[in-house]
Amino acid sequence: MIITAILAMLVIWCLFYGGITNTILICLCLITGGFLAIVSRHKHEGFLVIDIIAQKSHLNKVNPSIKFWTVLILLFLCVGSKSVIVGLILAVVMFILMVPYGGLDLHDYLSLLSVPVSFLLISALALLFNYGEVASGVINLPVFQGYLFVSQSSQLRTGLVLSKALGALSCLYLLSLSTPMSEIISVLRKAHIPDVVIELMYLIYRYTFVLFEMYRSMKDAAKSRLGFVNFSISVKTTGKIYSNLLARSYQKAMNNFDAMESRCYTGEIRFLEHEKKISLMQYIAAVSLVVIISGLTFTLH
Amino acid sequence: MEEILRFEKIDFSYEKDRRALKNVSVTLYGSQKVAVLGNNGAGKSTFFLCCNGIVKPQSGRMYLNNNEMGSSKKDNISLRQNVGIVFQDPDSQIIAGTVEAEVSFGPMNLRLPEATVRCQVDDAIEKMRLEDMRTRAPHYLSGGEKKRVSIADVLAMNPRLLLFDEPAASLDPENTLLLEKNLNMLTEKGLGLVIATHDVDFAWRWADRILVFHGGELVADAEPETVFSDEELLKKCGLVQPTLFQVGKIFHIDPLPKVISDLKGR
Repeated sequence: MIITAILAMLVIWCLFYGGITNTILICLCLITGGFLAIVSRHKHEGFLVIDIIAQKSHLNKVNPSIKFWTVLILLFLCVGSKSVIVGLILAVVMFILMVPYGGLDLHDYLSLLSVPVSFLLISALALLFNYGEVASGVINLPVFQGYLFVSQSSQLRTGLVLSKALGALSCLYLLSLSTPMSEIISVLRKAHIPDVVIELMYLIYRYTFVLFEMYRSMKDAAKSRLGFVNFSISVKTTGKIYSNLLARSYQKAMNNFDAMESRCYTGEIRFLEHEKKISLMQYIAAVSLVVIISGLTFTLH
Repeated sequence: MEEILRFEKIDFSYEKDRRALKNVSVTLYGSQKVAVLGNNGAGKSTFFLCCNGIVKPQSGRMYLNNNEMGSSKKDNISLRQNVGIVFQDPDSQIIAGTVEAEVSFGPMNLRLPEATVRCQVDDAIEKMRLEDMRTRAPHYLSGGEKKRVSIADVLAMNPRLLLFDEPAASLDPENTLLLEKNLNMLTEKGLGLVIATHDVDFAWRWADRILVFHGGELVADAEPETVFSDEELLKKCGLVQPTLFQVGKIFHIDPLPKVISDLKGR
């Protein structure tokens, strides 16, 4: 997390250098870096956390179809826009919807966001710096015979890419942090995605948990027998765990198939779906958000 | 008692020379409480899968409600609808993302109209007291709750006979008690229950009838008192006498105590 904070400070410095006064710039850098370093905590549970958050979110009560399609439209608008404003507005709106309104913990949100954002910041650095013979940029670092420089146009370009990516990311996070996987799958089914794909998605989703649980218990058992005592043993143990996982999942798959057959499975997976009502307010909110953002996208350049 | 399922000389083997079921003949009735005993690999699980049409007997006849069952799809479906299996590990049964969707899997497969499915799902959820977890993901539930979900799964198909494969395995005492309560409730509703178990004390206090499997053969089919009095049989099948049965024998109590409260009145 500290690394993300430092990266963020660096990128902000390069992005705004020459555009605003140095005092403001330093303040901006320190505020962002300090905020990220203090507020966020790192967590390791990964996708399991996302699923739990989605179950708990207040936005989970909202009909998944309206969320899915709104987010999809906003995503396209954001990626297609030619202005920094659109991405930033979306990021802020989604933040408000997720954290204060959806009841998501700020720490959790930031630590989840930090993973893709670090990638984003590294690529921002790559986009910012160019290499050339003459020092023609706002920032010029002499390297060998030439210069690594940041030009004004690269600052603008990187700003746009960053804001678009941040906006798009926020949209996707809104969907995945407020909608359990099973509901997303049911929306896709309504959108006439082929049944095979839908059924695979259900099974993959469900068995990720089964396999993960299996993996965790095997890993713990190996740990308790010193299977991870040093690097070379760890590598060997991991290999053994993976091959065992394959064998055991094959066995489990047969058991599961028996269990499915005993409930009259004949080649088609269908569940009862619980329709969540769309309220008038939600309609208005979704439509107005789409209208405002598309207005901004098509007017701003 | 009405007859539900009848086996006549059923044989089944997974591999050529390893027979998992040998010449099994048995009749199962509604609202009867049957315990199935036998050591590991005695054929209990195969017997269950066979009752459900998942493994097909190589010889012998099977009757459901006095109709002979073949291997047609229609027969399979009526077998699976009338006879439900609750598997030992709830995780091998659960496939959906919410409890409600999970319970609906069976009735949806029966191609019932949606209103009927909803009604049966609601009924099963109510019986297993899962209302508060309807929209939760089954994989975040506790072991006892998952077990209840897996029972509701099968109940939602309105079976007449329920088979449980070691239902109390990996349940804590509190959940085991709850399970027994639920079992009694199901018997009151007229369902036939068949439970494979290693717990002889449970079999003694709960069952009306005991089946003992050994090496794929049905070696005993009698009342609990008869089965547990046959010491030769118990020794052969690696079984022991239930504690209260032994206590009753030592103190010459008649009738033999089934539960602790039977001793208290004395």
